[in-house]
Amino acid sequence: MESMIHDMAERLFRDHVTHRMREDAASGQCPEALWTQIEEAGLTMALVPEDAGGFGVPPAEALGLLRIAGAHGLPLPLAETLIANAVLATANMALPGGRLTIAEGEALRLEQRGKRVHASGHLTLVPFARWASLIVTIAVLDGTDHVLSLPVKVLNVAPAQDLAGMPRDDIKLDHTLAETDAVPLPRPMGGMRQLGALIRSLAAAGAMETILEMSIQYANDRVQFGRPIGKFQAIQHNLATMAGETAASRTAAEMAAGSYDTPAFALTVAAAKARAGEAAEKVGALAHQIHGAIGYTQEHALHHFTKRIWGWRDDFGTELDWTRELGRAALSSPHDTFWHFITDSAAKGAPA
Amino acid sequence: MTLTAFSPPPPGTDFDDLRQEVRTFLAEELADFPPEKRAKSWNGFSRDFSRKLAQRGWVGMTFPKEYGGHARNALERYVVSEELLAAGAPVISHWIADRQSGPLILAKGTDDQKRRIVPRIAAGELCFCIGMSEPDSGSDLAATRTMATEVEGGFRINGTKVWTTYAHVADYMILFCRTGKSDDRHGGMSQFLVDLKATDNIQITPIIDLSGEHHFNQVVFDDTFLPSDALLGEKGEGWSQVMSELAFERSGPERFLSSFALIEELIRLLRDDATEAQQAEIGRLSAHLMVLRQMSRSVAGMLNEGENPSLQAAIVKDLGALFEKDIPRLARSLVSRPAVPGGSDSYAAVLAYTELAVPSFSLRGGTREILRGIIARGLGLR
Repeated sequence: MESMIHDMAERLFRDHVTHRMREDAASGQCPEALWTQIEEAGLTMALVPEDAGGFGVPPAEALGLLRIAGAHGLPLPLAETLIANAVLATANMALPGGRLTIAEGEALRLEQRGKRVHASGHLTLVPFARWASLIVTIAVLDGTDHVLSLPVKVLNVAPAQDLAGMPRDDIKLDHTLAETDAVPLPRPMGGMRQLGALIRSLAAAGAMETILEMSIQYANDRVQFGRPIGKFQAIQHNLATMAGETAASRTAAEMAAGSYDTPAFALTVAAAKARAGEAAEKVGALAHQIHGAIGYTQEHALHHFTKRIWGWRDDFGTELDWTRELGRAALSSPHDTFWHFITDSAAKGAPA
Repeated sequence: MTLTAFSPPPPGTDFDDLRQEVRTFLAEELADFPPEKRAKSWNGFSRDFSRKLAQRGWVGMTFPKEYGGHARNALERYVVSEELLAAGAPVISHWIADRQSGPLILAKGTDDQKRRIVPRIAAGELCFCIGMSEPDSGSDLAATRTMATEVEGGFRINGTKVWTTYAHVADYMILFCRTGKSDDRHGGMSQFLVDLKATDNIQITPIIDLSGEHHFNQVVFDDTFLPSDALLGEKGEGWSQVMSELAFERSGPERFLSSFALIEELIRLLRDDATEAQQAEIGRLSAHLMVLRQMSRSVAGMLNEGENPSLQAAIVKDLGALFEKDIPRLARSLVSRPAVPGGSDSYAAVLAYTELAVPSFSLRGGTREILRGIIARGLGLR
């Protein structure tokens, strides 16, 4: 797909995201200057409708940015901010700018207190919370999805991290929200778990493409027994396997992105997250096998990508969560045959 | 990287109406067709079924109307193909001709060849087989020895082809052989259109596979005379002609739906009370299937645009064969019920048939090892 915003993002990340930046971010340092450039380029608004300040590219193209960010191991909450802005805009809430993040809201309890909403519960693995100004989540009040906008500065954020050292913070919530910070969602758009699974699937596909490219490069450069190791069939077949898994992950993630805001989203995103997680295990393992000992060092860049794809398996539902959900849908579907379920999954989504 | 990018199939290509028509047709035609026959997947043979399908306009769908086709696009054909496979319809009689021989003749054949042959393919009347492998030329196609020597009015063919699927019933063979010497390993090859019913000195003998079925044959050409107009395409261009067929041959839904009858049997058993672990396995299977289908439809979209996605096709076939080969293992991990060849319990019979069929899935159409070599070259390994 030819895309101006993809080209812009590719240039920006290629020029500015470095091994050093990823190292520093993993030890807690937020790359502020790059964030400013990302925001000035408008990338955080790509999924927002044009009338709310976006630039009106199709959702699949806007979401394609996240694959590119994944391919560069961007240590910033671009994906989270992109989704947060889109959800806030859908609920006609204010877009504050700056770094935002998202959290799964299924575990939150909401109650009406006068005109305000009180939220209580425990948010875990919230990505980049301590680098963000707001946590945007979707939770149910009286049977209706509500968008909550939680200002981080009033929350007690306990820092934790994922396998790649990126912030995955822990927040205990027991707060009465400002009236404007809890708004009914006018139309369903998938829960935060689904939206989160989508962004991780896209990023994982991008990171796997980078891991594959690094592995090809290494296999062509590294000489043993008098020839590049890429001449050995065992290495070639491992790279071919990595290519297949990577292609499947990308196709799955793009299928889910293509069904964003359609009834097919719930099942395609389940497939995408499950497929990406399975591929992450294989691709990561084979990449390290090909790279040998040097790839197991802190000095080599490979680990920033492999640790990310492994860590993302746990964000917004594990493979087991998503495969169970998909399996339940398949086994309880009213379709006459499993085949009918499969053909409808991509076109019309889960049966009512 | 382009090799890992499978552009989504064009929007509006679900063709729901067509899909419904095909389902209605299959529900009628295959009402009494039992699961153990559906398990044969695209290896099931029925001239009668192929003719009926053709009467509905579902054979030669992409061929031009002037040659009896229906001028529909590759994604419409895809809908029909996957519905046939998912139902386990007996399609082999027209399958190879519809998939690759017809398109090859249309692309490379003479006007006369096109007019004589293609309308009969579209009518579901002709069964084709592919004469490629030889005793000493399996994965290494360039080691082909069968030789066509130019003589007065045509060619004399000498050599032996093996693993020729359905040669014993086929009307035509697309024969791949040498027509000359060349310094280039891939040079000096040509393709011929062999009328198996009207050509003398061709000996076809069965090769029975390990499940006791007769699909394979050995085909011996002993000074067989072929007229000049049997040459298909350019003399000496056989290699590149064969290569351009491969994207058609390797990317279709038959590369991941061969075990589909077993999947349906398995789901039938689990439907009412699956454990969470069983649900998860069926979910994993569903995810793989949804993604393979999307990749395969993507390649159909590329073929429709006239591109040559042969590398993407190799990826689809490699992943697809892994998937369809894995189904008996998956079934065994979820249900404890022994495989019984020909048994009265349909799950047991389908499991037995499928277990004996799966070893061939990563051999036919290019072995896994060959495909991975092709993918690796496409990745730029020097």
